[in-house]
Amino acid sequence: MLDVTNPRTLGRSICIITGASRGFGRALAHEVSRWLQPGSVLLLVARSETLLQELKGELWSFIVDQQSAVHCVAADLSTREGLDETVRVARQEAVTEMDRVLLINNAASLGNLSNFATFTGIDEVNSYLSFNVSSALVLTAGILQAFPRVPLQQRSVVNVSSTFALRPLPSWVLYCTAKAAREMMFRVLAEEQPHVKVLSYSPGPMDTDMQRDILRLTGVKNHLLPCQESAEKLVKLLLDDDFVSGTHLDFFELKKLTSRDDTTM
Amino acid sequence: MSSPARTDLGRALCIITGASRGFGRTVAREMSRLLKPGSALVLTARSVDELRALQAELAESEAGRAGLLVECVVADLSEADGLESIVKASKVAFSEDMDHVLLVNNAASLGDVSRYAKSFTDMAEVDSYLSVNVSSSLCLTASVLQAFPQRPGQLRTVVNISSLCALQPFRSWVLYCTGKAARDMMFRVLAEEEPDVRVLNYAPGPLDTAMQTVARSRTADPDVRKSFSDMFAQGQLLTCEASCSKLMKLLLEDGYTTGAHIDVYDV
Repeated sequence: MLDVTNPRTLGRSICIITGASRGFGRALAHEVSRWLQPGSVLLLVARSETLLQELKGELWSFIVDQQSAVHCVAADLSTREGLDETVRVARQEAVTEMDRVLLINNAASLGNLSNFATFTGIDEVNSYLSFNVSSALVLTAGILQAFPRVPLQQRSVVNVSSTFALRPLPSWVLYCTAKAAREMMFRVLAEEQPHVKVLSYSPGPMDTDMQRDILRLTGVKNHLLPCQESAEKLVKLLLDDDFVSGTHLDFFELKKLTSRDDTTM
Repeated sequence: MSSPARTDLGRALCIITGASRGFGRTVAREMSRLLKPGSALVLTARSVDELRALQAELAESEAGRAGLLVECVVADLSEADGLESIVKASKVAFSEDMDHVLLVNNAASLGDVSRYAKSFTDMAEVDSYLSVNVSSSLCLTASVLQAFPQRPGQLRTVVNISSLCALQPFRSWVLYCTGKAARDMMFRVLAEEEPDVRVLNYAPGPLDTAMQTVARSRTADPDVRKSFSDMFAQGQLLTCEASCSKLMKLLLEDGYTTGAHIDVYDV
């Protein structure tokens, strides 16, 4: 049961994070683990078994001191086998009643940054949409089916989004299209499932491999946030639980809101 | 700044997908009346009989008898060879004195609206839907733009048949809403990248078509289903012709902001 003397906690929960081996996903694993109560399960999904195990090693105090479990699922989420395996492990690991089920759809790829007119090959586009759109829907559906509504349990689904889900960027047709698709997908989910809290979170440009690729491919150097800072903001949003399900929130918006709070309080 | 509206769409190569039925067929008919002699229509769909019937009808029409070339390409847009055959036919139909290349991305499917998002656990189903409704329109548009690069004195127009569902979520319509939202963004990126291409996301409104029949009979969500059947019962569905004439008006006036989403009710 939720510790009512300290409401700022994610409770005893199962939290599934995709793309957990690096970058934002990895930072989220660390941040989320700080807020989980004993008896929780952290399910980390990515393709690299090695990197996942390394991350698990970094979470030893969570495992030992918090008597919680970390499971690494090395899976390719663009395959049905990878998705099925993830759901299977999730189902198997949450045998005791959890306060919360939290799914963070973070895994994504940049795709080929190229002129619109170069995308004449349907296999490339299909493959990109499969990993970046289909797999998020299929995984979310699988997890919601594995954890049907239970009284007093909160189910939350996060879509790691982007400002480019909302506005177009030249040469970024694959990425923008997939992020816009996911945005709508999760809005429909929010409409359909009043008992699932859905959030599309735009984390801002962070110090990740994806941003290094962007710099290399486009020469555009953004001012980069540490992943941890953005991860903290996302977890704060989840703890505050003050958003309308289906909404899109941006790291930079939240930053502005917090400064405003500081001056009025 | 605005010049008087054109009364025709020029000597054009016009490619229309999903042309065998519904809105696509109406676009083919209306377009044929607005193209100058020496133009070509390339109509594509999967159903050979309906396409051939339309081709015959247009050949016999005033436009047809005045010299409009009407080509049919029976193709599955989500197949690489389907896309290739459309581009090939378009290149053959094209002539150097054409001043307009116009692509209407109309082909679409509803997806299974009898189910909710949490039931979509089959990767193949979702992949297939996105392939037909998203990937194919990207690849066809890219192929057409490559096949017909920018030339002085020649206009290139790309239309995406969009929907209110591109902007607003509807319960039990996850695939359709996702696909339409994806397409709108896709064509907004094109508009940003290629200022010389006129890009229009046109939402035709609730049309009295086979797709609408499925919508009102199969939609799982009772409120959404009721709103469709009420529209039907109260005669609020639009004819394809009524909506198409708004689209033609937009294209003739050519005043829209490239990449804009324009709804039939905005016109």
